Amino acid sequence: MKQNFNRLSAWLGAVLATTWAMPFGQAQVQVTDNVVVVVDASGSMGAPMGDSTRMSVAKDALKQVLEQIPDTTHVGILVFPRGNWVYPLGPRKESMLAGAIDSIQSGGATPLGDYIKRGADALLKARRKQFGYGTYRLLVVTDGEATDRGKVEAFTPDIISRGITIDCIGVEMASRHTLATKVHSYRNANDPESLRQAISEVFAEVASGDAGPGGENAFELIADLPEATASAMLKSLSTSGNQPIGEGPVMRAADPPSPSPAPSYSGGTTSSQSTSGEEDNTLVFLCAALCVLVVPGLVIYAIVKGKNK
Amino acid sequence: MKAKKSIAASLALGLAAVAAPAQTQLFSDLVGPGSVGSVKAGGALQVPFIIWGGDMATFYANGGLKTKSGTIFQKQGLNLNLTPGDDFIQQVRDYRAGKSPFLRGTFRMMGQASEVIGSDPRTKGVVILQMTWSAGDHMIAREGIKRVTDLKGKTVAVQQGGPHIGMLDDVLKAAQLGWDDITVKFFGALTGPDSPVEAFRNDSSISACFAVTPDMFGLCTDLNSVGTGAEGTVKGAHVLVSTAELSRSIADVYVCRKDFYDANRPLVRKFVAGYLKASEELVDKRAAHDAGTRDQSYINLLNQTVQIYTEEVIPNADEAHGLLLDCTFAGYPGNVSFFEKQGNLHGFEAFQKASLELATSRGYAKQKMGLFASGLNYKSDEFLKYLNKTEMVQGERFRAEAVLSEIEELSSGGLLDDRTILSFTINFEPNQTEFSAVQYAAEFIRVIEMADKFGNAVVAIRGHADPTKTLIDLIKAGNAKGTLMRSGTRGNYRYSLNGRALDLNDTSRLLDAIDAGDFDGVEDYNPRRTMQAALNLSRKRAEAVKKSVVDYAKGEGLGLDLSQMQPQGVGIAEPFIAKPSSVAEAGQNMRVEFRLIRVSAEVTQESDFDF
Repeated sequence: MKQNFNRLSAWLGAVLATTWAMPFGQAQVQVTDNVVVVVDASGSMGAPMGDSTRMSVAKDALKQVLEQIPDTTHVGILVFPRGNWVYPLGPRKESMLAGAIDSIQSGGATPLGDYIKRGADALLKARRKQFGYGTYRLLVVTDGEATDRGKVEAFTPDIISRGITIDCIGVEMASRHTLATKVHSYRNANDPESLRQAISEVFAEVASGDAGPGGENAFELIADLPEATASAMLKSLSTSGNQPIGEGPVMRAADPPSPSPAPSYSGGTTSSQSTSGEEDNTLVFLCAALCVLVVPGLVIYAIVKGKNK
Repeated sequence: MKAKKSIAASLALGLAAVAAPAQTQLFSDLVGPGSVGSVKAGGALQVPFIIWGGDMATFYANGGLKTKSGTIFQKQGLNLNLTPGDDFIQQVRDYRAGKSPFLRGTFRMMGQASEVIGSDPRTKGVVILQMTWSAGDHMIAREGIKRVTDLKGKTVAVQQGGPHIGMLDDVLKAAQLGWDDITVKFFGALTGPDSPVEAFRNDSSISACFAVTPDMFGLCTDLNSVGTGAEGTVKGAHVLVSTAELSRSIADVYVCRKDFYDANRPLVRKFVAGYLKASEELVDKRAAHDAGTRDQSYINLLNQTVQIYTEEVIPNADEAHGLLLDCTFAGYPGNVSFFEKQGNLHGFEAFQKASLELATSRGYAKQKMGLFASGLNYKSDEFLKYLNKTEMVQGERFRAEAVLSEIEELSSGGLLDDRTILSFTINFEPNQTEFSAVQYAAEFIRVIEMADKFGNAVVAIRGHADPTKTLIDLIKAGNAKGTLMRSGTRGNYRYSLNGRALDLNDTSRLLDAIDAGDFDGVEDYNPRRTMQAALNLSRKRAEAVKKSVVDYAKGEGLGLDLSQMQPQGVGIAEPFIAKPSSVAEAGQNMRVEFRLIRVSAEVTQESDFDF
């Protein structure tokens, strides 16, 4: 049984890998993997580092990492504080990419928070265009010294909560820096071994090899989870919004505005113990009810307009 | 609105005589006895017309009821006398007696008459022309009936013997229901006092009824609205199915007597070519009129239509224009496709089969007596040198991005269910190592047929992925970060979240923790990335299924519009089982769901003809 399950996964992987890049002839939404690199080229990056500078170590590290990213991945390079989009997010052209990296000059302030927001916003924009499909990673190359530290602290978890994976290449960065501890992966620009580590493939579905800490089978690990809780958690993970980083969710029927931090499930599961929680829920329900009333009206209006055209 | 209702009222007069409101009767009993006469030679040829936009092309070609000089038909050397034929039974009597060699009705009405006309070699029917497809017939249902499958066990009101019998048959087939699964109440008229519409208003035991556009406006306000009970609407009444999307259900045709056709083939060909000429000119003029151009010959036609049908039926030129908008012309390409295209699921052979089956199973006929296809040579100069719009390529009928946007909008707005006409699911079995088209042949055929009949609805192919891995990664991420911990022994575990005991039923506390990032930032276990991968996988799954359906259709030689099938990834958002406990349960989440969805007209491409 388990073996069959694995074979199914393997088969699906093989079949689906081929269909990914091959839409069927007609106009299809283009779905791609996307990486935006935010490169810190502030004054501090000009500091000497061994026989070289932080900047040139960072450039070498960046080139090495980009080599491991598949050709089909869309790449964008955002440099701060000067240079901006030296390579706008799009299909990769090797010759131009290398030139873009070489052109980076260091000097100036370090608005790291602002720029990771800009990089993430570009990814969210791409994700909206791709109807949510694809993969979205933000690669930050920095020494971590920021003039807007508060923004770094605030934006990093928001970016992550949107489902964007953040990887960081640190250049002589403090080990307790937010970008070293809160992100998904941290690599040291000075450690060739860690830079060569390829981005591992992500499996979407369980295979029988996925064991829990006690060696029990994968399903036992979630056996205690009530169905309703599981359902609500899945919904929460599935709805993250494409509005710019630092802004609240856009008003939609499935995604009502709510006091922070708001659960995005629609009730009927378990009641919160605190009274404030219940008030939150009432507000959520009111907003949801309003949306349910208003949105269909608008949609129907649009449709009728269309039909009567 | 009032004006539109009067169309309905007059339609009632014409069609009231079609059948008694009793149960189905043999068509031969309805027509009664009579002998076959031959069609009189000399003088103007009698040609029946009915109240329908497609017949306006006949008026246009003829210049009125009698052929005028300088018109399309006159130039074709024809001399015709158009006569009202809304009483179909009387039409059949006149046809048998030889007063007219033609019958005018929907294909399935011809099917009902097939035995009567087929029992004499002289009156056997030759289908010579497909005029139009209907976009103006509707099935209205009460509140609570959302899908066509919900009709099971319900009472449906329909006019006996009229155009809606065939439409009901199509709706039942789509829902995989039989006529025995519903209770049918027959009414004598299409509209007016003795109609399904009036019965629906007055008898709450009737769950659904059929209506023409003016009555549909009266019951529901419009195609995508729900009646409020105000201004004569019925509270909760909504369009369940409309030929606006079930666009290959009602085909309006002309049938010619076999003896007349054999003796006068060139004349019949000239009639057909003339009609097609008129329809290709009319689609342009109709579009120009919509765009604000005032063409005198088109205005004349609208006024003439008012005159012919009388102001009681069509009060003004605007209503005449509306009548024309309710139909989609088949044109030259549509007729070639209808009669000649192999594997055309809405072509002559398919309609003939369905019509004869319906006629015999519903008791209109005892035996299946077929109709003939005209066998006209469409490649001859009489067509190709005479007509302009002879391009056989239809192109894609939907704009892919617009369709996807609309479906995503409906999904996120929670409206997808309301706009779903029908849905069914196929599973990726856990022990299945191959996605075999053979295994799913029945489902694929169903999808292909459904897409064909519902030519203006979109088939969303929605892929789903299993969420187990995402949940496991979430828990493992919590373990790795030390936020979610487990202690105790198997079968008796205790959990804590951020150092405080956790009741796993405390959903809101867990959701707050997810929002606060308590499961984020672990490289090896990233539930958000796993969710994203599942979303992508589910879309690929949907695309793989679409490809299989497309390949299957190709292999079977069946027509399929690729732009009508829209793959969509739902990811883990709508699992069948949110927390699977075995490989088998996880497998149930690995599924693809087909949904037939009513979309707005804006996502379709404009085209002259549908075929």
